[in-house]
Amino acid sequence: MPDQPHDFLKDYQAFAQQSWDTWMRYLQQQPGNPSPFGGMPPTASQDDFLTRSLANLQAYGTWLQQAAGAGAGVNPMMGNWQQPTVMQPFLAAFNQPFAQTVAGIDSASAFGLDHQWNSWLQAMQRAGMSGLTGAPSQTATFGIAREMQLDQQALAAAMAEYAQINARYQALLQKVNTDGISRLQDMLAARAEPGQQIQSLKALYDLWVDAMEEAYSQMALSDEYREVFGELVNAQMRVRQMQQQQTEQMCRELGIPTRSEVDSLGKRVQQLRREMRERQRPVPQQDETLVDALQTEIADLKRELAAAKAKTKDASAVRPIKSAASTAKAPRSASSKRK
Amino acid sequence: MQAPLHIDPQQAFAEMAAFQRKLAAGMQNLRGLGEQEYANTPREAVYREDKLTVWHMKGNAKPTAKVPTLIVYALVNTVWMTDLQDDRSLVRNLLEQGEDVYLIDWGYPDGADRWLTLDDYLNGYLDRAVDAVGRRHGLDAINLLGICQGGTFSLCYTAMHPEKVKNLVTMVTPVDFQTPDNMLSQWVQRMNVDLFVDTLGNVPAELMNWVYLMLKPLRLNQQKYVGLVDILDNPAELKNFLRMERWIFDSPDQAGEAFRQFIKDFYQQNKLIKGDLQIGNQPVDLGMISQPVLNIYANQDHLVPPDASRPLGRHLGTKDYTELAFKGGHIGIYVSSRAQREVAPAIHQWLQQRT
Repeated sequence: MPDQPHDFLKDYQAFAQQSWDTWMRYLQQQPGNPSPFGGMPPTASQDDFLTRSLANLQAYGTWLQQAAGAGAGVNPMMGNWQQPTVMQPFLAAFNQPFAQTVAGIDSASAFGLDHQWNSWLQAMQRAGMSGLTGAPSQTATFGIAREMQLDQQALAAAMAEYAQINARYQALLQKVNTDGISRLQDMLAARAEPGQQIQSLKALYDLWVDAMEEAYSQMALSDEYREVFGELVNAQMRVRQMQQQQTEQMCRELGIPTRSEVDSLGKRVQQLRREMRERQRPVPQQDETLVDALQTEIADLKRELAAAKAKTKDASAVRPIKSAASTAKAPRSASSKRK
Repeated sequence: MQAPLHIDPQQAFAEMAAFQRKLAAGMQNLRGLGEQEYANTPREAVYREDKLTVWHMKGNAKPTAKVPTLIVYALVNTVWMTDLQDDRSLVRNLLEQGEDVYLIDWGYPDGADRWLTLDDYLNGYLDRAVDAVGRRHGLDAINLLGICQGGTFSLCYTAMHPEKVKNLVTMVTPVDFQTPDNMLSQWVQRMNVDLFVDTLGNVPAELMNWVYLMLKPLRLNQQKYVGLVDILDNPAELKNFLRMERWIFDSPDQAGEAFRQFIKDFYQQNKLIKGDLQIGNQPVDLGMISQPVLNIYANQDHLVPPDASRPLGRHLGTKDYTELAFKGGHIGIYVSSRAQREVAPAIHQWLQQRT
């Protein structure tokens, strides 16, 4: 007698693969046909992008297959469901989607260093500097390429540090996975009564997401995660900064303007804009009053000066120069009295 | 006791087959859908400066409110969450209530904006935007409606320029940045933000999106798309989904200097509620806010937990403080059906009583 569920599984897997291939062909179709991800002609990088965009749906599809395959060998009514041998196939199906999801977010963003790490390793190997790509080197450097060797050693050390911290980060995510599965088992145990049982793969998947998010949330709010996450970000920034410095060095040698030069110009422009804005700012009421008072005072002084000049004109025949000097003091004196 | 899994193998295979069938058929519905437009409520640009635009939003009827309300959105994401789609628009709902609505579109910073500080944003752009709106109405003071980080900015602005704000509404606004349930806060505490900004310059939008996705990695990056398969055969729901996707990933980069200060002063040192904050040369004292304040927070907010918003009342100088708890999340407060019924009417009623 044929093993009906397993035959069906085989047929289904072929069908699923066919559907997936069709889906991917549609997404990578030639220009002229609208694509849900934009109208750019497909390129190698776009193929990669599309694959990553749908990676999580694929992960779910893979999980469905694994979970259903595992379910085919499980008698859903049996009482010993908590035995590891019974549940293990089901639970194993959950490992992959979580890892794929987190890795998918990493690689789809600008945050992941994996691509950069691999490119750097390849570049070093091509340049015949494979010795720098292993453990950080303490080898003495000399000669005309001494500075470059030092920079490469520092970058290798920074990358190694990043790799170490990343391993700690991945270990925390693995803990989340373990804890999540444990929570899932607890949640399942609470649904053993008739009416509460899980009756579809989708319901099981949703329960797993609840369990995993609970476990992740607890980890993500922990002191340990806070430390490791902070160190991971800092380590990655150190690597990026060194890469930028090396790029800048190369640009300077080639006479290409560097990012720090552009930044420096931008900083100066922004400062000038602030100063210009400050000068354009309307004069506040208090200042206006002060200006008015000063203008009135100047006008008074001018009038007094004119009057004094008129007087000295009359007496100019006697002491013209000295007289002018003394009258010039008069308004100041008058002004200070007024104050 | 029975086994908790009651999944019939044949039924499981049928479920899988249905999933694949929907996925394969769904491609037809995606064909030609293209970019989904936001609600695009009629609007007029009334002030522009660099990349910033102040929009005057136009309703079907003349506003009845005597004091205009300026919406101050966060620098992260775009203000169009408030005008997302025809039947999910805070802006339209406010206009229908009779409010006169303006909103600030901060634009997309690039390398030229790398050195913009919080002082430039608040005492510069925001101040001039408030003046521009006030001038149009011949008013010295207008209403501010601050959202998320924009709410925090509105609080700072009101504390520094109290004479220019008549009433203040804050929505899903963080005030205490160090509550134990604030995941974003936890993550940045050990981060060397100087190294971070010195290295990256402006903070890329993709990086910000990565952080938000990592708050709930499975829900936001997988379960949501598994759910998408169920609506692939429903063009209307599919369009709504794609419109929301557009908004989520249509994010501006963050100006480096402003980001540095925001993370240090608000998240790492929690200066706003400690009373130590200074923007430019001006101290920011929440106790200086004597205007009426309406603080709306969301009970299920995973970005700004309720405990991060609720302490506001304790730090204000005003005697007219109202708190409103919305049953929903950080995004649901704008786009859920409940939000359409509750949020705009509550804001309108509160403003009306104080005008």
